[in-house]
Amino acid sequence: MNNFFEVKNVDFVAGGKTKVRNMSFAIENEGDVICLLGPSGIGKTTILRTIAGLQKIKNGSIELKGKTISSSDVNVEPEDRNISLAFQENSLFPHYTVEKNILLGLEKNKGKKEKQIDLKEILDLLDLSNILKQYPHQISAGEAQRTSLARTLLTQPDLLLLDEPLSNVDQSFKEEIQIRLKKILKNLKISTIIVTHDSYEAFYLGSKCGIIFDQELRQFDDPYKLYHLPNSIDVVNFLNRGVLIPAEVTSPKSLENKDLGTITGNFIKPFPIGSNVQLLVQPEDLHHDDQSNLKLEVVDRKFRGTNFIYTLKTPSNRLIPVFVHSHHIHQHEVSEKFGIKRPIHIDHIVCF
Amino acid sequence: MRISFWHLSSFLISLFVIIPIVTVFSSFFEDTSNYYQVLKDTFLVEYIFNSIFLLFSVLLLTFLIGTGSAYLVSFYEFPLSNFFKWGLILSFAVPPYIYAYSLTAFFENYGTAFTILKNLFGDGNYNQNIPKFDGLLGVILSISFSLYAYVYILARASFLYQSQNIIELGKNLGFTKFKTLYSIILPSARPAIIAGLSLVAMETLAEFGAVDFFSINTLTTGIYNSWIAFDDLAFANRLSFFLLLFIFALFIIENFSRKKAKYHFNSRGGFKQKHKIKLEGKKSFLAFLFCFSVFFLSFLFPLSQMMYWTLKFPENLFELQVLDLLKNTLYLVSLSSLVLIIFALISNYGNRVTKNKVLNVLSTLSISGYAIPGVILAVAYITFITWFDENVIKSLGFFSIKKIFIGSIIGLVLVYFVRFYSLAYNGIKSGYEKINIAVDESAYLLGYSKRKTFMNIHVPFLRNSLLFIIILVSLEIIRELPITLILRPFNFETFATTAYISASEDLLEAAAVPSLFLILIASFFIIIASKYILRENNE
Repeated sequence: MNNFFEVKNVDFVAGGKTKVRNMSFAIENEGDVICLLGPSGIGKTTILRTIAGLQKIKNGSIELKGKTISSSDVNVEPEDRNISLAFQENSLFPHYTVEKNILLGLEKNKGKKEKQIDLKEILDLLDLSNILKQYPHQISAGEAQRTSLARTLLTQPDLLLLDEPLSNVDQSFKEEIQIRLKKILKNLKISTIIVTHDSYEAFYLGSKCGIIFDQELRQFDDPYKLYHLPNSIDVVNFLNRGVLIPAEVTSPKSLENKDLGTITGNFIKPFPIGSNVQLLVQPEDLHHDDQSNLKLEVVDRKFRGTNFIYTLKTPSNRLIPVFVHSHHIHQHEVSEKFGIKRPIHIDHIVCF
Repeated sequence: MRISFWHLSSFLISLFVIIPIVTVFSSFFEDTSNYYQVLKDTFLVEYIFNSIFLLFSVLLLTFLIGTGSAYLVSFYEFPLSNFFKWGLILSFAVPPYIYAYSLTAFFENYGTAFTILKNLFGDGNYNQNIPKFDGLLGVILSISFSLYAYVYILARASFLYQSQNIIELGKNLGFTKFKTLYSIILPSARPAIIAGLSLVAMETLAEFGAVDFFSINTLTTGIYNSWIAFDDLAFANRLSFFLLLFIFALFIIENFSRKKAKYHFNSRGGFKQKHKIKLEGKKSFLAFLFCFSVFFLSFLFPLSQMMYWTLKFPENLFELQVLDLLKNTLYLVSLSSLVLIIFALISNYGNRVTKNKVLNVLSTLSISGYAIPGVILAVAYITFITWFDENVIKSLGFFSIKKIFIGSIIGLVLVYFVRFYSLAYNGIKSGYEKINIAVDESAYLLGYSKRKTFMNIHVPFLRNSLLFIIILVSLEIIRELPITLILRPFNFETFATTAYISASEDLLEAAAVPSLFLILIASFFIIIASKYILRENNE
């Protein structure tokens, strides 16, 4: 069966420079949401602009609903693609009020879709009701971004492209919007590609996520696998949720580290016994135990509301993060000793 | 196809501008009359010396007046300071040649000054005690008091955008007000001030009316004379070449400075109103006195002189066909504005949608016409049309086109177009710079065609810029003298040409009425334009 949307072997180019090479990925079913992650300037926006038809491609192809919309010799004009892009920068029409700007989205959509989007629902979702009569220069960057998002959602396109959609939105409001946005996209079955550098946002909104750097799509997978089964050290470093420590494979189900001792678990990729590897240790892999005789020194402690993240120093001067529930009975100060539960067992062992 | 259309239109516009430059250059390959020899043996050095002396004197004076008044109204509060911030722009309504008429009328033997003294103190031989502001000094004063506003406007805009922090930093470092001015405020406004002075320099070198009136020989009058008196177009063009070289050097400096100035503006997150320092006592009076003197000398003085004469010789008012002159002026203004705006819109839009480098170079070239003096443009235009008519049109067996393009409205509008295209182009460009390119792209994604985006998004947003351009173009055309004088159709006069003709026939009293109307109409446009500028600055 054909994918709903597919990018095949495309080089994404901006300003004469190739930003991402030979990229391929797909949205399998209508209504799926995928997210693209990567550091700033890597070409994420270029990908969206190209998909929207604002930039042309020289090789490969882009297909939507079985039709080629971009290739070396096909380029459907942006206005004929039924793809909407919410720009990260302010793209509101400066001489129209917020209301008129939003209604332009509705105008485009008129009569096209059976299941019509509810204007009030969108205004409530994005908390825009109070600024409808204002002009773009009278509102804040966050409000402009929400207005732009509303206008884009109301077009109910075949494919929605969101470029850092919540980057200017207040943290307190962000999570609520994420929840409601996800619900709307699901209800209306709007296929969406979201570009972001916030991995939490990507993991929440996307059924699949792609990580881009060094001009390549390095991994395209569901969020769980991306996090727990990263396919390269670069992906681990980008997600920045764990550390790599040296270890020796001692059996098909165990490794030995000089500081932590024996670690057991299931290898996601087999390594020969006796080989020296880099083991990924994520904050949730180690557990606190005051009674344990494996004690490490606390060098930092971050309070994250629901938990603490302790940074511990091993005898060989490596720093390891460990999660502890914030209701844990007592706290450890910097320089104090911190017990690690033994034996150490990690469900899926990721080594490189 | 679309790209080639934008290229073609930008190319055509650039071609209009290049024609006079090429014509001037080609004069080196043509024979000249013996006027060249006569001039070389006699006055050429004087022409050059006068031009340079005039230039530097005017630059010094406009710098002092323009920057000084801009500094006072930008940073201090004193009586009428709010009025002066736009009142000081009114000097633009008085072109240098009208200022020159006023200066002469007031200080000449048995002139207005004499009458005032006589009325105050009775009969007496006052003439020998009344200073005479004629000759080179008269020209310097006339040009300076008319053009200092270029420096004033740009310097003030730059002062307004200077961060309060920089000035407070000066205070914090224990600088005196004077040290803050010369070590912080002036250096950071330097690009704007240089841009203003370059405009003054170009206008000074191009000035025709005032220097002609005071019979000062400069390169510009040399060009006019070699054409009118010796019928030697080739030599007129050869003189123009030297003047153009000098002007292009200034043009490059101005362009370079303005780019920096623009950067300076854009680097600010937004304009923040500064707290002005309230002056008290003597300081407040001195600041007021300085600004009032500038306002009085540059605007009130010529205005009242012209009013006085109009009232003293009311018959001139009734003899003048005011309605005809007004009709002619409005006709020229509306036709030229329309043509300028249409082409400037096409060119700007082309640049926006294609982002093509060749197109960009062509556009930069096409706006260089404002640097070419009106006299040169007009003379070069006639030279070109004559050459084209004789060598191309007639050889193809067609009727002569000279009558269509010389001494006609078409010719006048074409040369105005070259001279004022930069006003229209830059005006629209600065409007376009405020519309993020993502706005266009959003429109395309909302299903708008390029045409609909242009008509429904760009044009409504640019409406204010277009209005502002019309005002500026009108102001320039109302004041413009040499192009109109040389290229106007027979029996077609404007306020400027009527005033010039009367003055050149030594009928200064008769020149007063058209001059007064010119000042009043120009003031009207300036007041509207200044409101726009103040609004842009959030004042």
